[in-house]
Amino acid sequence: MATATENNTLEAQPRVPGTKNDARRVRREGKIPAVLYGAGKDAASLSVDPRQVLRILHSASGHNTIFDLSLNGDERTKAMIVDWQFEPIKGKLLHIDLKRIAMDQKLTVMVPIVLRGEAAGVKQQGGILEQVLREVEIQCLPGDIPASIEADVSELVFGKVLRVADLPHSEKFKILTDENQTVAHVITVKEEVAPAPEAVAAEAGAVAAEPEVIKKGKQETEEEGAEEAVAEKAPKAEKGDKKEKK
Amino acid sequence: MLMPKKVKYRKQQRGRMTGKAWRGSELAFGDYGLKVLEPGWITDRQIEASRVAMTRFVKRGGKIWIRLFPDKPVTKKPAETRMGKGKGAPDHWVAVVRPGKILFEMEGVTPTEAAEAMRLASHKLPLRTSFVKREGTH
Repeated sequence: MATATENNTLEAQPRVPGTKNDARRVRREGKIPAVLYGAGKDAASLSVDPRQVLRILHSASGHNTIFDLSLNGDERTKAMIVDWQFEPIKGKLLHIDLKRIAMDQKLTVMVPIVLRGEAAGVKQQGGILEQVLREVEIQCLPGDIPASIEADVSELVFGKVLRVADLPHSEKFKILTDENQTVAHVITVKEEVAPAPEAVAAEAGAVAAEPEVIKKGKQETEEEGAEEAVAEKAPKAEKGDKKEKK
Repeated sequence: MLMPKKVKYRKQQRGRMTGKAWRGSELAFGDYGLKVLEPGWITDRQIEASRVAMTRFVKRGGKIWIRLFPDKPVTKKPAETRMGKGKGAPDHWVAVVRPGKILFEMEGVTPTEAAEAMRLASHKLPLRTSFVKREGTH
């Protein structure tokens, strides 16, 4: 099992924390703003090279990679990327959070789940393999973080569910995610049948009903409504009796 | 057609569509998706047309998620009516989208099939879109 610790270094320069305008100026220079915290020390504002960060994020161990953070080329600390923000349209990296890591203290990380093999439900029964859970939370020492947790789905058929409890466990890490949570299952999808042209024409001509408008003020409960209905009926009954008497 | 079951008010003002979709801009369910690149309104009919185009193409092969919901009523005055006399009656429903929003997601198909299904769906929409896929899928 490949571990997340790799011998790579991230160069960082200290910066003066400021407004979003200052952060924009850092980005214009080709760097991205970052913040370093953890291990009981004060938080520090930094600027880092986004290409180095992306190389770490896209590596085999991904965001769980533990690397040497070099501040101004001299001070070195073990660190990890704990949060990152991408621009939603072009996907550029905007900001990262770095955490100082003590190699002798356990930490909680999210590790990706990789499904191996072709499910029998897909191969023989014509279903679709749906991966519901893509990451699992584990607790372990920094040196023991697995790059991924592999799960064999070759025996997965309709009605059978792969749960967190079925994932390979190890003495090196403890899975914190609920054991009953579904990881993957085989589902079936109904084929869309083309409707008849008459039905299409009828649907096009039909006016959609308006949704119910939520009224203001106190809402009637069922009991109150029933009582009121009885009270309304009672006077009518009395009137009917009078008529009969006449 | 998609529409809310209950609403607080029957009619709404138009509103503004500034900024980017910071939420709902990453794939959450499937391996492939369709991301919108400009702001705009997508009507209930356009969403349905896109869904039908995708499902008919992938047949029983894939699962589709719709990540937008038309919850904004659009009113319209009747034809040949003089201006004034108040706001028109609710006519249809739209979903307000900002650039970056993932509109549809898909799983259980090959990348080529997903790209073609998303292409067909994008032709039913009034906005520019791009095909996105999860990192690690080939």
